[in-house]
Amino acid sequence: MTSFFTRRLVLSLVTLAGAGGLAAAWQLGRVALRPVALYSGWTLLALLLVLTFFNARKKLPFFPLISASQWLQAHIYLGWLACVVFVLHTGVRLPNGAIEVPLALAFALVAVSGVLGLWLSRWLPPRLTRSGESLVYERIPMLRHRMVAEAKEIVRAAEAETQSTTLGDFHVRVLAGYFAHVPAWLAPLAGGDAEHHRVTLELAALRHFLSVREIAIADQLAELIEAKRNLDNQFAGQRLLKLWLFVHVPLTFALLVFTAAHVWLVLQYSHR
Amino acid sequence: MAKPATRPAILPGSVAPFSQATRQAEPERWDTPFSKEMTEADVNLVLAHPLFITTRPERFPPSIPLRGILKNDARIRRFLPGEIIVRRGDYGHSAFVILSGAVRIMLKEPPAEQLGRRTALRPSVWGSLKRWWRRPRFPEQSQASGLRLGPVGETRIFLQDVPGVLDADGSIVLKSGELFGEIAALGRTPRTTTVVADDEALLLEIRWQGLREIRTYAPEWKKEIDRRYRERSLLRHLAETPLLWNLPEATLHLVADATRFETFGEFDWHSAYHRGHKDDERQRLEQEPVIAREGDYPNGLLLVRSGFARVSSRYNHGERTESYLGKGQAFGLREIVTGWRGQQHVPLRHSLRALGYVDLLFIPTAVLEEHVLPRLGPEQLAALILEPPPGSAAAIRHEAGGDSFLEFIVAQRFINGRATMLIDLDRCTRCDDCVRACAATHDNNPRFIRQGPESSGVMVASACMHCVDPVCMIGCPTGAIYRESADGQVAINPDTCIGCSVCAQSCPYGTIQMVALHDDEGLPIVTEETGAPVRRATKCDLCIDLPGGPACASACPHDALLRADMRQMDTLTAWLQR
Repeated sequence: MTSFFTRRLVLSLVTLAGAGGLAAAWQLGRVALRPVALYSGWTLLALLLVLTFFNARKKLPFFPLISASQWLQAHIYLGWLACVVFVLHTGVRLPNGAIEVPLALAFALVAVSGVLGLWLSRWLPPRLTRSGESLVYERIPMLRHRMVAEAKEIVRAAEAETQSTTLGDFHVRVLAGYFAHVPAWLAPLAGGDAEHHRVTLELAALRHFLSVREIAIADQLAELIEAKRNLDNQFAGQRLLKLWLFVHVPLTFALLVFTAAHVWLVLQYSHR
Repeated sequence: MAKPATRPAILPGSVAPFSQATRQAEPERWDTPFSKEMTEADVNLVLAHPLFITTRPERFPPSIPLRGILKNDARIRRFLPGEIIVRRGDYGHSAFVILSGAVRIMLKEPPAEQLGRRTALRPSVWGSLKRWWRRPRFPEQSQASGLRLGPVGETRIFLQDVPGVLDADGSIVLKSGELFGEIAALGRTPRTTTVVADDEALLLEIRWQGLREIRTYAPEWKKEIDRRYRERSLLRHLAETPLLWNLPEATLHLVADATRFETFGEFDWHSAYHRGHKDDERQRLEQEPVIAREGDYPNGLLLVRSGFARVSSRYNHGERTESYLGKGQAFGLREIVTGWRGQQHVPLRHSLRALGYVDLLFIPTAVLEEHVLPRLGPEQLAALILEPPPGSAAAIRHEAGGDSFLEFIVAQRFINGRATMLIDLDRCTRCDDCVRACAATHDNNPRFIRQGPESSGVMVASACMHCVDPVCMIGCPTGAIYRESADGQVAINPDTCIGCSVCAQSCPYGTIQMVALHDDEGLPIVTEETGAPVRRATKCDLCIDLPGGPACASACPHDALLRADMRQMDTLTAWLQR
């Protein structure tokens, strides 16, 4: 089984060689006064279509269309190659046409969102793993609801048993809000554990004023707070991992639309 | 903070006094007999049969009398001519004694369709296209007309075109007083032949629990069963053991004669599996029967015939798992070889414990030293003295997932898996492409749940593992759950599944789901008699007919999912160390 390092090294070298070859061909074509813009444009279009087909592969699990992981590798490295071809095609200049500007902008955003997505796909999963038990995203709202109810139940039972409202007051003041809280969209990037840390410290401070039985109940609450921390991390992390695709994929379709318009204009007017 | 005196008292909690608890008798072995229809008159009939006349009831302990075994662990079944009694490949949990009539053992396996089975599926692009074209609009959509609704009475399957099959293939006839099916029942191995009723046959079916007791307390039965095993299976088993490959046939017979059968642990380990989850690991390990103890003299070689065993060594105040053994693997050989070469006693370096249950063959050290070891070449001997080669389970522990991963897969019995779904959580982006791919290829309903126990950053998802010991196959009344080949995928034939859920309840890992079926309009299909939803057992079939292999694995873009054969340590280690 090839290690990830070896695969990365080999594919990077192949991509670099490919990019070098394309740049050399482009330079030779220019010297020979060939229509290199046309050639590089068609190459770029072909690359874009291949890159887009990765999404289609996911919709066709029936067919033996090479594994999705091989497709992703091709998607990543052909994506880098497409960036090189894009630079050759545009000639490192800022676009100024009515179609060129949104086309170049769409390409840049697709490329940036792709790189960002790749980074998130490699950076976030280990953090989710270390956070705690893996949770199914769709079940998290239900689990949060259950957690809110459970915290309330523990505190109510504690009040009944200990005849004290200390934990009940703490619940109203701190815990109710904490358990109902839904983390912000970019929370995983900002750390996201600050609220959990604050609540944990407040509960620890409260322990000095609790009876032996109440401390046991506070331990139960501490376990629940820890479970909520994991739940928030799993929710925010998984949401971000899904979110970037909602940026990358629609932008890709916008890019294809602008590309189609660009190709039509070129074919329409390039020979006049 | 003290509670204000004016506040109304809150009612105490819900803990009921002990005196109000519901009481019931301690569950006992025969609470659920094999058949409720077995009467005392039936037991008398069986005891009067020539096969049981020589069996002395006084040899049985008062707690497990022979009458009790026959009443609770046996049943009388009448088979009509041409009716299939057992089919080759089915997992046996019982043996049969012919009380009257005759049965035929098929020498050549009839075609799958004649046995009520689905024709074996092979991967093909055409199959993929067909699956895509026929994909249903609703989850678990089915044609109601083709369904067999509910387990009404006993399910019977007849061999079609009996005279044609018998003429073409030949068969052996067994008559009254003969016993068959005992090897599969006691060893939990697939039936090796198909047996059909020749004429109207009255059979006594004894489930494995009863057969085991009879074998224990009736020496003539033990002698007979062991003789039959020696005749039919032992030589083949020994001949397949690499250590004994070079032996001449006469010597192999000598070794076979000296070999003893030993069984440890609970045969129905899967019943206790969930209960065991509540124990901590040390408790669980202490409950495992010790087969051989570290430091003892190895008085024989232990060959695993079926089941699993844990190899462990003492570590401070506990036991550390070093490895695990499955079918065909040996224990104690290195110590025996090292001792024999050095002319000294070399104690066992590890302990061996039964994981669930394990069937062993015991070949005495003296026999090995006299007949086997002198025939080994210097290279073979040198290899047996050295440390374990890389790629063994020990390598996993030391190099990859660490102690905890090996302990985890052994404790949870995931070592049973031939296609265990492992998810590398450090690579998995939780995108659910695997789940969607599975649903798209299986009636719009995924055949697994992307959730399960985790250790060392690896999750064992809740998907059928296509186990080495597929306990789910025991007791299926129609044989709808079957193995594609002796070591192949475990699949369910939807056409013959009657939704009895025996397999789902037997699966220790909870990977078989009972699902409600829908018609073309998406409405639930219900039974005519009760109006209850018609259900069918579903599970992962490893996408038998897809050329690209399991859709889940090929749909994972991040190389996070592996269908791992837990016996292939090299692959597993390499995957963990990528």
